Amino acid sequence: MQDRPTAPELLDAVAGYLFAELRPTVVREQRFPLLVAANLCAVVARELRAGSDPDLADLALFREAAGTPPAEPLVPVVASPEAEADARRAAAELAKLIREGRLDGRLAETVSMLREHVRRKLEVARPGYDV
Amino acid sequence: MGAAVTDGPDAALVSAALSAAGEEPGVVRLARIPGGASREVYLAESEAGRWVLRRDPPGAESFTPLAVEHQILGAAAAAGVPVPRPIRFEGQGGSFGSAGFLMEHVAGDSVAPRLLRREEYESARRALPEQLGRALARIHAIDPRSVTDLPMPEGDPAIAACELWESEIDRVGEPLPAVEAGLRWLRLNPPPPPSRQALVHGDFRLGNFIVDDDGLAAVIDWELAHAGDPAEDIGWLTIRSWRFGNDDLPVAGIGALEPFLAAYEAAGGVAPAAERLRWWEAMGNVKWAVICARQAHDHLDGRRVSHELASLGRRICEPEWDLLELVGGG
Repeated sequence: MQDRPTAPELLDAVAGYLFAELRPTVVREQRFPLLVAANLCAVVARELRAGSDPDLADLALFREAAGTPPAEPLVPVVASPEAEADARRAAAELAKLIREGRLDGRLAETVSMLREHVRRKLEVARPGYDV
Repeated sequence: MGAAVTDGPDAALVSAALSAAGEEPGVVRLARIPGGASREVYLAESEAGRWVLRRDPPGAESFTPLAVEHQILGAAAAAGVPVPRPIRFEGQGGSFGSAGFLMEHVAGDSVAPRLLRREEYESARRALPEQLGRALARIHAIDPRSVTDLPMPEGDPAIAACELWESEIDRVGEPLPAVEAGLRWLRLNPPPPPSRQALVHGDFRLGNFIVDDDGLAAVIDWELAHAGDPAEDIGWLTIRSWRFGNDDLPVAGIGALEPFLAAYEAAGGVAPAAERLRWWEAMGNVKWAVICARQAHDHLDGRRVSHELASLGRRICEPEWDLLELVGGG
């Protein structure tokens, strides 16, 4: 365990510095790149705060959409790399089934399930986009 | 970032090329203009004037070769489309180091947030939607067969677009199930083939329009031009990402669709049916989502290291959301 600040708190501090202190001092061409950097810090702070829950929820969703029974109980894990790698693998399998037309019979249902996956990404990357 | 050019084109050779084309530039300074996605763009400046050089990054591939882009600019100018006048093309091994062409410099602004929010552009904003409609109608009136080596997809352009973006997803190597679901719907529900293939600009959106106080001064960045369904340009123009926050104004975040389409028709275009437009708007979101993923991977793979490109990996979800709204909303 690290001492406070936590990782998202540190990113909040960096975003605040970039946006409030540095931005007024840089040349015009650097303002947009700097805003991008500040925004990325805010996105990653939200991502860290969300933890592994979105990855696990997506893993379950991809498997359900693909018609794959959940092989093992989905236990929330503390470290996220495993959940993320599992979700990415399941996403690739689902993407392949969709491309091959094997889910054409329930495409509308698949689309509405995937909206939930996209909604979860937006909550981190661009809150409010889906309203 | 406007930095001095180190391994870029040779200013003396550029000056000589301008002279050979009948300009009288004198001593030319070159400065890189940032922003070109797959092209390098330089401002060539001397006491006599300003010009723009567009060239391939040495060793890079491009969708539409620069020789074709140069040719299209000439055809567009002849058709009455406001474009920078093309001046001189030279191939690989010519004066510019790699294949490239010189064109006139058009004064104005192309940065979307400035154009959308600044008071000084208010009259330009009033004029733009109809100017864009007229310009696009003139682009679409150009016979694509008159442009040598223009990318010309075989068969139905809608199905060709599905195949193109599927193969791009495979090239990027990132699983995008939401994009796949949208693409699958598009593949199963294409509009009827268009009555004719038109010259499609391919990136007709705010950011690629040079605007001055009177409105549209030039349509630039023709590197994605190809033959296809003219509705593709309108669908792409109107995707939510190119409204820059003005979500209820589909034409570049500035205007409603109707006056734009009326101007397009008055200038000889045939306004596509709502369903066809919706299909191409959805396809536009596929395209933007895949381009975001590809550019994020350009950073990851070290082709173009940039936190701005990296950040696009977290923006894929925006066009994905709009895509699923368009195909699933009924």
